[in-house]
Amino acid sequence: MGRSVLKYVRVRDHLRALVTHELSEGDPIPSERLLCEQFGVSRMTVRQAVDALVVEGLLHREQGRGTFVAPVKVDLQMRLASFGEEMQRRGMEPSSTVLAAETAEAAPDVAEALEILPGERVFSLHRVRLAAGEPMAIEQSWISCQLMPGLFDDDVPESLYGELRRRGLDPDWGEETISAAEVDAQEADLLGVPAGRAALRLTRRTFSGETALVYSRSMYRADRYVLWVPLQAPRRPLTPRTGTAGSMTARGSGTDEVDTRTRGGLA
Amino acid sequence: MTDKATEILAALGGVANIIDIEPCTTRLRSEVHDPAVVDVKALRAAGAHGVMISGRVVQIVIGPEVDTLASDLEDLL
Repeated sequence: MGRSVLKYVRVRDHLRALVTHELSEGDPIPSERLLCEQFGVSRMTVRQAVDALVVEGLLHREQGRGTFVAPVKVDLQMRLASFGEEMQRRGMEPSSTVLAAETAEAAPDVAEALEILPGERVFSLHRVRLAAGEPMAIEQSWISCQLMPGLFDDDVPESLYGELRRRGLDPDWGEETISAAEVDAQEADLLGVPAGRAALRLTRRTFSGETALVYSRSMYRADRYVLWVPLQAPRRPLTPRTGTAGSMTARGSGTDEVDTRTRGGLA
Repeated sequence: MTDKATEILAALGGVANIIDIEPCTTRLRSEVHDPAVVDVKALRAAGAHGVMISGRVVQIVIGPEVDTLASDLEDLL
């Protein structure tokens, strides 16, 4: 069992390198027979390796034609830009299908994120976001009615961030969490992918200074998106001056001991 | 500004409860001796946009002014 798992991983990683470094979008991958010979493995093992990359979104199968290199995924940086702005920057014309645009009472989770009271009126906007005509994400957004009076009076604004800026509320910071998800039947229908496909669930709070502007929950197709996050080494933590000598050196292994000492020193 | 730092430090249980405090882009991440004495309501009242407690680590959502706040806290520690 262990050996066959390793064989499949070897074929998969070979194919992955081939796809990312030698082949281009739309190219066919080497035939099953060739891969069997090259790696001395069974067809089943080769298929398992190819399946893994199809699921990952690097390859796509076409019925009766073969397996080809899938389009490169859009790398989306985790930063405070809107979907439309990000797509435009890549030369992909953004558009939206509005599923619902209404006012509603804020549910407790929405209220907490927007720092208003549950039951206060909020604008609720539910859209499918498209890039170059292809559905890429489903997005739900909530904004306090008090903050943006008349938001839906004319047409639903194409860009929420654009509309916020027009009203002098420049989004200037936020926080986002990302979790893994599978699309359900309805989401699959909206995104044009089979149900059960992988997706990235993004939950974002957008602020302008101390004001919470927008709360949004989005579902991005994992076969079309990767997220990239710039990393920095953590800053040196601040520690209380009293008892610093002990807590600086002994953290980690002898934590309990340090605790006692620090507390003792301050008592 | 210093008031905010004072309030946050008090809500964390005072200097005696602090193991360390680290500014992280939009959050203050603090390791405390006793998470039970951390006053979440007081942190929110001091202007925190969210508080997450996991074990002995308290994360306080502040925003970009977290660096200024951290300098103020450093003076108080």
